[in-house]
Parts: sequence; structure tokens; C-alpha cells
Amino acid sequence: MMALRIKGLRKRYGDFEALKGVDLEVREGEIFALLGPNGAGKTTLIRILAEGLAYDSGEIKVFGKELSRETRRLIGYVPQESIAYDLLTVRENLEFYADLYNASRERIGELIELFSLPEKKKAKELSGGFKRRLNLAIALLYDPKILILDEPTTGLDVPSRREFWEIIRNFRNEGKTVLLATHYMEEAEELADRVAVMNEGKVIATGTPGELKHLIGEESIITIRGLLKGLEGIGYPFVERGSEIRVRVRNPREALPEIVEILVKAGSSVKEIKIEEPTLEDVFVKLTGRGLE
Amino acid sequence: MNPRAIKGILIKDLKEVRREKMVVFWVFVFPLMWVTLMGGLWGSPGSPVTVDVGIVNPGGNFSTLITGVMENVTINGTHLFDVREFPDVSSGLEALKRGSVNALILFPKDFDANISSGLQGKVVVYFDRTDPQDYQIVSSIIRSFFSGVGREFRERKMEMMMAYIPGEYFETYNLSEERIREYFLASAEPIALEERSVRGEKGEGIRFYVTGFIGIQFLFATMLSIGSSVLEEINKGTLRRIAASPTTPWDFLIGKSLSTLITITVSILVGIAYARLVFGSTLFPSPFGWLIIFTAAVFSMSLGLAIAMLTRSERSTTAIVNLVSMPLLFLAGIVIPASIMPEWARPIAHYFPLGRALKVLRLSDIYGRPTGELMGDFTYVLIWSVVMAVLAVASYAWAIKRME
Ligand SMILES: Nc1ncnc2c1ncn2[C@@H]1O[C@H](COP(=O)(O)OP(=O)(O)O)[C@@H](O)[C@H]1O
Ligand SMILES: [Mg+2]
Repeated sequence: MMALRIKGLRKRYGDFEALKGVDLEVREGEIFALLGPNGAGKTTLIRILAEGLAYDSGEIKVFGKELSRETRRLIGYVPQESIAYDLLTVRENLEFYADLYNASRERIGELIELFSLPEKKKAKELSGGFKRRLNLAIALLYDPKILILDEPTTGLDVPSRREFWEIIRNFRNEGKTVLLATHYMEEAEELADRVAVMNEGKVIATGTPGELKHLIGEESIITIRGLLKGLEGIGYPFVERGSEIRVRVRNPREALPEIVEILVKAGSSVKEIKIEEPTLEDVFVKLTGRGLE
Repeated sequence: MNPRAIKGILIKDLKEVRREKMVVFWVFVFPLMWVTLMGGLWGSPGSPVTVDVGIVNPGGNFSTLITGVMENVTINGTHLFDVREFPDVSSGLEALKRGSVNALILFPKDFDANISSGLQGKVVVYFDRTDPQDYQIVSSIIRSFFSGVGREFRERKMEMMMAYIPGEYFETYNLSEERIREYFLASAEPIALEERSVRGEKGEGIRFYVTGFIGIQFLFATMLSIGSSVLEEINKGTLRRIAASPTTPWDFLIGKSLSTLITITVSILVGIAYARLVFGSTLFPSPFGWLIIFTAAVFSMSLGLAIAMLTRSERSTTAIVNLVSMPLLFLAGIVIPASIMPEWARPIAHYFPLGRALKVLRLSDIYGRPTGELMGDFTYVLIWSVVMAVLAVASYAWAIKRME
């Protein structure tokens, strides 16, 4: 059974077309990631599913039924921006949303316990990680079958991010379906069963992280870190990421000395060199010619 | 209708209001400032006035006597005049122009001689007429003082004249001494004005200003609160979520309106109690009065919500509400009685629903008009409130649709 089936979805904001015919299928019980840079249209897609944002054309089915106010109750949604009221406590926020969704009061206690939330603290006093957990608890108040998260770990520190990933995995292990949007390739790679790569309002590739990496074929990635000069002279496709470049090559043994020589001649000071397996980001670069961030 | 969702929204809003410092200011402190200001300016009846007068006194017996009386007149324990003597007219006029005295009284050199020889004594009074209101107050106080002094002189003079009337005169014309006194008095003062005061008929000032303060609440706090709180929910993204939930727009608006009404009611009660505490007098609305208050509040909230939804910006909403409310504060009969407003402004007080509502409230609760007589006016306000509420809901629905 498909949890979500989306066909030919289009959405314009005025003259700007944010979704240009998106096709997507999310299976029941999997973690599905939408991976793409800012502006790709991930949030727009999610808001159509979870908030009932109007769209121009296309077809959306939730567990085989037309998307509507009723079927939307099967979806829990954690938006990127917190929807907790700053001046209310954790419990009061949960009570408010429970009233809106007619969820049971017992559920509030369960969720507070499940996520170790400080129930008497005001939302504005919560750290980023706990605020995200509170929003997750709000989304789970009425026990949805599909959980949708928009950039769930953007802005969180590494430990909170790992904790949050664990929570999402547990959710999947209970047989629920997760759809998450992210521009962190690690997040998609670590967490997702399947990934859809999105760019400029379109899904340009879908598959498991392994399948996607096969798109790169036999290539490997050389990463070089340091104070780098003479990059324009490298004869291979590469992307820059801070003080690091990632070069995609077919034969690293031949290419590596060549590249290093060019860089050193141009006056670079190289600190670290690694040969790596390709990541989803490299897939994205190969598909679009640009980086994720 | 979903009672649980309405209750949830209502309770959430009240909690937010209670914890928001700025709201506490607008809802409670601001109105108290108004009550204090208006009550202090116009409300407390017979608040003592002291007039600063300058006197140029050449030193005659009578002028010195009058000056002494002036220095000592008191009303309710406060001196009516604060007297300063000046050596000549020019230095006195200087002080009057500077504003350090309100009037300058000049006793000419022949004043004493005239009085003692039974002629009319002339006194010259200079006023500064730049401020017409000040002028009216100062001149009427000085006039009434001199007419009092004049009456006193007249009586002394009459006694003196009586002494000159020969005894047989009374028999010849069959007149009593009393009767002659009365004739003398009447020829000097053909009409006598007797002042009496009545309590309650026109309502004490403070009762007027308590209702004025309720009107101010409608113009500012009520009009702004619901509109800006909906805008806040739009900007925060929470309204999208509420709209996506099973809650309907009506549930949302009813919840929000109820919380606004409760907040306003509390704020009005605080104002009423405060007036009682500070001015010793207040006005507690009758059930019909409350009905008017809630109906007018619905009009005001709806107008504010419609403005907020059409502009979709908190800043513009505040600006427009202030732009509309500031002039209306003075022109809609809210803080200034319609009777003393210029002719052209009176229709505003009559036709603008909040002005009319306040008029009905005052007629009913200050001037004791029977409710039956006021039904027509009340219906006018009610119809406007319903129309405005429908417009507000329509503009809300429109804004939600446009929310992307
Ligand atoms: N409410 C909106 N009005 C107009 N344009 C929008 C709106 N929301 C998003 N966009 C535009 O649509 C494109 C996709 O945005 P979004 O769906 O937020 O992408 P992502 O979540 O992948 O970063 C962007 O170019 C963005 O500027
Ligand atoms: Mg986004």
C-alpha cells in the first residue's frame, strides 16, 4: 500500500512556478527523504500535503484516498518554524492543540513522558532541540499514520540531531511512515530508506541511497583540504565546500598526483587528502552541476 | 461549531494576554491614565480655582478695604484670589502679558473720593483674552466678586439714606420702613438672580467620563486587539495550522472574540472601580448598558479585524486604527459632550455607531431614560454591528484564502 501517491503536481506563486510537475510515491512504513537545496520546492510540496495549501493541478492520494480535510488527519506535521506559543508552557501548548484536534488528554501525558519534555517550562525558554521535540509532540497528538517533517534538524547541534534521528527511526519501527525534507545529505543518507532528489521544482532522481550513488557509476571522490589556489586548472569536475574541494574522478591513482601538482604549483598549502566513496551530494552535483548548500 | 476548540482558543488567548506585558499596559494602565486625566480635568465637580490678580492701589480707604477682602475670600478652604500689588499700571500690565497674573485691577485715584461722596466708583480691570476659556473663567469670577462688593456697598448706602428720610413721610404715604427698603433695593437691582444647584439630574462629570473611557476602549484597545492578534497568528504560522486542523473559521473567530470581550470587560470593570476609588463616584452599567457595551464591542472588533485582514500588516493596521480613532475620540462625542461640539461635528457623533452607542449608554445609565425610548437607537447600533461582523468574517475568509 502506498502511503502517499503524488502525480503531476504543479503549484505557482503568482508568476513563479515552484512545483513543475512532481511525481512521488512514498511506501507505508518507510522513511522517505526529499533532498534538495533551498528553494527546490520541498516546503511547498509538504505544505500542500499537510496544511492544505492550494495547488494548481495534479493528483494526491493518501492511503489510496483523495487528499482532504479528513485524510489530512492521517498526517502529522512538524513545520520548520515552531508553532508553539512562546508565552504558554509545554503542557499548555499541547492542551491547546489537543483541543483543536480533539485529541485525548491522556495522550498529552504520554507524549511529555516519551520525549522527556519539561511540562512547566514556557516554550520560549526551551532550547532548539526541545522546541523541536515539542513540535513533534504536537504533530503526534492525534496519532497520525504519516509523519511529515520539514528540515527537522536544521539549526540543531550534532548531539541533538542524532537524538532526533533516533526518535524518527523509532517512529518508523512502530510501522509508521515518515516523509522528511532536508538539504543535509548526511541526514538523507543516514536516515532514509529512499530518497527523492529535488531541484527547481522537480524530482530529478528517486531511489535508495545506494541506488542513487550508482548513478555516479565507477567514479570516486577525492577530497582535498587546505589553503587552495589554482582550482581553475584542475581538469576534473569538482565542488568547493569551505576550505575543501571534492573532485569526481574515474581513476584516483592517476588523477591524484596530477591534481596535487597543479594545486601546489599554484601556491596551495594542502593539509589533507582523502579518497572517498561518493555521497548523495556528489550525486546531486553530478545531476545538477551545483552543490546542495 | 466545535465547543472544545472554541474553549481551547479562548483559554489560550487569555493566558497569552495575561502574560504579555504590553497588553497589560494597553488594557489596564492606559485606560486608567485616561480616567485620571479626564476625571482630573473636567470630572471632579467644583474643583477649587485660584485666580492670580494684580492690583494697582493708590492707597485710599475703600480700595484698601476691597483689596483686603479679596485677599481673604475663601471657597471650601482655598483662597479664591492670589493678590499681588503693583506700584503702577505699566508694571502690572507687564506681568499680565507675561501671564504671571490672570487679571489686573486698577483703582483710579478718584475712586475713594467718589465712593465717599456717594458717587459711582469706577474700577478698571485688564484681562488677557488670548485664551477665551481662561478669559471666561477669570472675568466671571472677578465680575461676581465685584457685584458682591457692590451689593454690600448698596446696602450700607441704603441704611444711610433711610436715616435721612423724615418720620412723617411714612405716615403721609402709608408706607412702612420695610417697604421703602424694598423699593430702594429694587431700583438698584431690578432683577435678582438666585443660584441653586441640583444633584444628579445632569449627571456628575465623572459618570460622563467613565462612559467616555468605555468609548476609548472601543476606539483603541477593542479595535486593535483582535485584528492584531489574528495578524500575529498569521505571521507566526499558527493560523495556517489552525486552518488546517478540523477547527472552522467560525470556531476560531468566536474563540478570539470571546477572549477579547472578557479582556475588555475586565478592563472596563477596573476603570469603573478606579473611578470610584479616586473620584469617589462612578457608574456601573445596567443590564441594558452592558448589552449596548457588548454590541458596540462587536462593531469595534469587527471593524478592527476587517482593517487588519485587508491590510495584512500590523503596522498599517495600527496606523489606520489610530488615524480613524484619534479624530473620532474628539468628534464622536466620546470625551467631549456632543452639546459643546461644533455644529458640523454633531452628525458624526450621531451616525458613527460607537458615538451612537455611547449616547444610548449615557441616556440610559446617566440620564435614566426608559429603555423603551432607546430601542430605536440601540437597533441602529445592533444592525451596524451585525453588518460589520459579516464584513469582518468575509475579509477573514478572503485573507485565509490568500495565505500562501
Ligand atoms: N509564499 C510564497 N510566496 C511566493 N513564493 C514562495 C512562497 N513560498 C516559497 N516560495 C518560492 O518557491 C520556491 C520554493 O520554495 P520552498 O518550497 O520553500 O523551497 P525549499 O523548502 O525547498 O527551500 C522558492 O523559490 C521560494 O522563493
Ligand atoms: Mg524549506
